[in-house]
This record gives sequence, structure tokens and C-alpha cells, in this order.
Amino acid sequence: MMKKLAIVVLLAAILFPLCAQQKTVSIWGWRAQDVDVWKGVESALRAKGEQITIKYEVFPPTEYDSKLLVSLQGGVGPDIMYTRRLPGARTQALLDNGYLTPLNGLVDLSNFDAVSLSFISANSKVWGVPFANQIIGIFYNKTIFDKYKLKEPQTWDELVQIAETLKKNGVTPFFVSGKEAWTLAMQNAMVGVSYPGDAWIGKLAAGKAKFTDPEYVGMLKDLNALKKYYQKDFMANTTAEQDVAFAMEQVAMVFYGVWGNTNWLKTNPDFKFDYFPIPPKDKSVPARAYTYMDGAYGLNNVSKNKDAALKVLNYTGTKAYGELFSSITGEITALKGVTMPASKPILVKCYDKMVNIAATNRYWVGSPFDAGTPSVYNILQEDMQTMYLDQTTPEALAKKLQDGISTWFPAFKK
Amino acid sequence: MRKYSFLWMLFPALLLYTVFIAYPFFSSLGLSFFDWPGIGPKKFIGLANYKNILSGFMASEFYRALWHNIVFFIWSLILSVVPGLFFAFLLAADIKGTKWLKIIFFFPNTLAIVVVGFLWGLLLNPQWGLVNQLFRVLGLGFLAKPWLGDTKTALPTIIFVTAWRGLGFYILVYLAAIIGVDREMTEAARIDGATELQIAGRIILPHLYPIIATTAMLKFIWTFNIFDIVYAMEGTQGGPAGSTDVLGTLFYRIAFGGLGSSQVGMGLGATVVTLIFLVVFPVSIFYVFIVERRVERGE
Repeated sequence: MMKKLAIVVLLAAILFPLCAQQKTVSIWGWRAQDVDVWKGVESALRAKGEQITIKYEVFPPTEYDSKLLVSLQGGVGPDIMYTRRLPGARTQALLDNGYLTPLNGLVDLSNFDAVSLSFISANSKVWGVPFANQIIGIFYNKTIFDKYKLKEPQTWDELVQIAETLKKNGVTPFFVSGKEAWTLAMQNAMVGVSYPGDAWIGKLAAGKAKFTDPEYVGMLKDLNALKKYYQKDFMANTTAEQDVAFAMEQVAMVFYGVWGNTNWLKTNPDFKFDYFPIPPKDKSVPARAYTYMDGAYGLNNVSKNKDAALKVLNYTGTKAYGELFSSITGEITALKGVTMPASKPILVKCYDKMVNIAATNRYWVGSPFDAGTPSVYNILQEDMQTMYLDQTTPEALAKKLQDGISTWFPAFKK
Repeated sequence: MRKYSFLWMLFPALLLYTVFIAYPFFSSLGLSFFDWPGIGPKKFIGLANYKNILSGFMASEFYRALWHNIVFFIWSLILSVVPGLFFAFLLAADIKGTKWLKIIFFFPNTLAIVVVGFLWGLLLNPQWGLVNQLFRVLGLGFLAKPWLGDTKTALPTIIFVTAWRGLGFYILVYLAAIIGVDREMTEAARIDGATELQIAGRIILPHLYPIIATTAMLKFIWTFNIFDIVYAMEGTQGGPAGSTDVLGTLFYRIAFGGLGSSQVGMGLGATVVTLIFLVVFPVSIFYVFIVERRVERGE
């Protein structure tokens, strides 16, 4: 009897401290592709001796924000929550109601550059650990470009020349998914950082330039003129159709984001493609890549598990995490100085562009022009379609942008 | 005491009704007087949301969406009632294969609306979709169009798809009503020398008027609450260029934001819902009145 009791006491003595140390960190997000990332983080932390279990719950992207807001309001919520960007109404609502903890001094953010952190900063504080950056621009079929001896264009006119050459040879130069309005707003924004340019957008944000300026109207005109090189009836096509057409080598170029590479390679594993930023109209204006932070990990201010959650967050700020994230998801980590997997050359190229030629000013997602109603995004979504359908002119679109934004944007109200 | 014992029997249903119908409705109505992004304190703004929707910065989008709902109702009613009656009369004639035809006609009704939207999205693809291919093969290439990418054709296309999906329901309802017409009357007419067309037009059809009125009112209520098919075929933006935007998609954009929208406004969204209710409610009351009257008459 005594022997049995001694064994029980001994086991309890061994197991109790282990159980006491074991902490579960709950994380809520909208990205199903991150399940294995969190498993990797858990293993890495355990290898360091941290007894932390990560419980990651995924919600459909369209429901995530309302689910999170309602849960937090009801006093229930995760320790770590995925957040969108700032400025942005959804993240701002979390911030305004005190659900996010400022991470300055709590998490080592030295591995992030200022551009990435700017997307989740407000009031001189950082409110989340950025996890992914996206880069948008033109992705092109290398085989087709090689066949017609085409090189990445340095100016807008060279881009038009390439499109002309392809068209003459019976190749559809661009596939544009005009049915999905957001892709047209994105197209406009990615062109804008090179033509009229990053510096011009900086002036715009300061109220020293207008959408109705000749530089911007000229860009709209050139963009509208480019539609003769798009596939026929492009206004009825979706991104899913674009993915198939591009991956199956039916078109030469798409205006899209780096996230598309996973689908393209799934459709056609032998597909060879590359990336270039939109070339400027004027050679003296540098070509810029539109990059933006895709999301961040925020720490719940009322979490009862902050110590363990901070250990997880601190790990997500390391280069080891960046490599883990990119190798599993095939996306670009928001961390700097990370080696992209050599098996994914497009990530290597895009990461290089992101580090070296990222635009610092923008008017689409994550920009000050997206913080009010109507936003540039709201207007562009509908009116890029209208312009492409010849139901409005570039001049009228520019005026609508200027008038709409002037109703709330402080720099335009001066 | 026993006089009020019925209240105990009503209680379970009343509780469910209060929790799931009355409370959300009055809560939404109340919300329409507040500015609220979905979290944090609500700011009372009186009728400002109504002003913004009816005559302010949202007015043009609201009236455009309302007009699309009206167009949707009129055309989908025509496309449901006319073929619905035609096929119901055809099936009532008990032609060979009636049973299979009923199944075929009703089949689209069993498909989820998202599936219908997806399938028609494929069929209507401008480059390789079956619809345009068929037109080209038949030498009608001029009819091959970007159906969902043109502001002139997008809404009619969605209306057509909605009518296609719902046709089976109307056929079955009208068929049941035709079968319910007293046979003695039709037989007597036949003996008196009436043609089948005369019997259909002068005896059966007048008997169907109440059921046609009922289905028209149901169509009105459904149409003003429509969201799913537009969402499935054109997304929350109701594209292209807002040409298929209806009150349901407008509400969704305003209340829940969504990609590219900074208009996360539960209060403003609740206002749109209240306005939809104000349009639908009188028709619903009228519908209940008609049904009650038919029940009382034993029709």
C-alpha cells in the first residue's frame, strides 16, 4: 500500500510542475494556409523549452472581422488575433475600444522595416507583428517573352510596344479580370506608384497635388488606351479565369499580386513566369513596386495569458519564423533579411523588389486615402469599370476622385 | 385563471418569436438611429442615417439599388408567371412523360443558389462558355456577348437565371391549382362545345387569379430581400459599375464593409434594412389578408 502511495506521490511531483507550466495560447485568424505555420511555431518553441500549446482557429475571411468584434464585445476572444491594416476601419475599431496592446518594448520589432511597421502603427505605437507582405505589379510569361525576344520594359511606352508586338503575333498581351472591380482598383493603384509616381502621391497626400492634375489624368488616359490589348470581353472575366488563362499560357501578362503564384503553379507546375513593376511614363521617375502589409498579429489587451502570448509573438518577430512562414505558405514574410526558399524563384525576385524599390506613398489599401468614406478604393472599384466600359471619361473619373476625397480628407480640405 | 391558460400554451412559440424575430427586428430598428461601427459605444444621431440614405451621400446608390429591385421584381414576375402557367397547362393535359417533366422543371429549385450562380458563371463565360459557343455554332455569333460584364445585359441575365431556377416552383403551384378546378365545370363546357383553349382561358384561368396574386406577392417579398444570386454572380459590388446592385448588396457593403470598403456602419446598414422593411411590410400584410380570406372562404 505504502509503495503504491509513494509511486502516486512521486508521479504527481513530476507531472504537476509540467502541467502547471503548460500554457495554451489561443489564436484567431482568417488564413487556413497558416495551420502548419502555427504547428511549426509550437515545435520551435518546445525545442526552446517553452511548454506552450497553440490553438489556432480559422474563420472564413468574410466572417472573421464581425465574429471577432462581436466576441470581444461579449468578453470572449483569443489571446492573439489576426488584424488587418491601419489606417482601416476594422483595425481602428479594435484600437479605439482598447482591445489591442501596444507592442513597443514588449516584442522585438527590429527585424521589420519601417514600411511594414507603418501599416500597423498609430499614435507612435505599433499594434501588431506584421506577418506577410504582398507585392503587386505585372507578372509575365517568360517563355512567351523569350520567344519574341522581349525584355522587361523600362518605360510605359516600351510596355505598350511589347503589347503591340504580342498582339501582332496573335498572342493576347494582357488578361484582365474586369468583372471583379477590386482588381481594377488595384491595377490603377499599382500603376500610380510609378506613373505619375511615388513622389507625386507624396505630394497628393500632403494636399500639394490633385487627382485632376495632368499627371494623373494622363495616366488614366494611357491606362484606358491599354484596354485594346486586353482579352476580348475582359469585363466579364474573373480572377479564377485569369489564373487558368495565365497558368495555361494563353496570355502573356497579368496585373496581379504575388499571392497568385501558388495557384499558377498548382495549375501548371512547369509554368515559367516572372515579375516587373509598372514602368514609369517618364524615365526620370523611378519605377516603384506597390507593396503592402497583408496583416498582423495583435495581442488581446484583456488576455489572461499575456506572458505566453508574448513568447509566441516574439518568435514571430524572428528571421527563423520568416523562413518558416515563407516556406510553408509560399508567400513573402514581412520580416527583413530573410532568405526566400530557392525553390520559389518568384518569391526571391519579389522579395528583392520589395526590399529595394517599394513605394513609400500609395492611395489604395493601407493608405490615408482608404481611411474615410468615400475612399479612393470605393470610387475606383466602380468607376474603373465605368471608364473601361466607356461610360465615363478619365477626366470625369479624376474629378470624381478629387471631389469625393475632398469631402473628408484633411489635406484636401485646407 | 383558466381563462388565460392559453397564454401558457402560447408561451414557447411566443418566446421563440420574441427571441428570433421581434428582438432582432426592434434592435435593428433602434440601431438605425445610431452611428456604430459594430464595436464600442453607440452614438445617437437621430434621423441622420435616414437623411444620408434618402437625400445625402448614399442617396444615388440607394435609389439605383431600389430601382434595380423594382426592375428585378417586374421582369422576374413576368418570366415566372407566363412560362409557369404555360407549362402548368401543358402538364395538366397529362401528356406522355409528365412525371419526368415535373422532376426536370423542379430540379433547378433543389440547387443551392451559390451553385446556380457558379454554374451559370461558367456557362456564361464570354470566351469558352457554353451559351456563347452555342450561339456561334448556330450562326448567331452576334448574340455572343459578355453577359455578366456589360451594364446593359448583366441585370437581365441575373433576372433570367433567377426565373430559371424558380420556374419549377411556379409550375407546381399553378398545376396544383389547375388540378383543383372542379372537373364538372370543364366537362360541362366541353359538352357545350367549348374548345380546350376556351376552357383554359375562360374557366380555368379565372380560377387561378387568386393563386397568381399570391405568388406575385411572394415574388415581391422575395425580390426585395434578394441578395444571394447577385452576390454569387456579381459579388457585393453589384457590378459591372453598379448595374446589378440591389438593396441587399448595398446593405451588405454598408454594414459589413468587405474588401475595399471603409463604410463599416451597422447603423447605416440597419437603416437600409428598415427601409426595405417599410417597402415589404405593407405587401406582406396584404398577402396575409388575402390568404386569410381564402382560408375563410375555404378555397
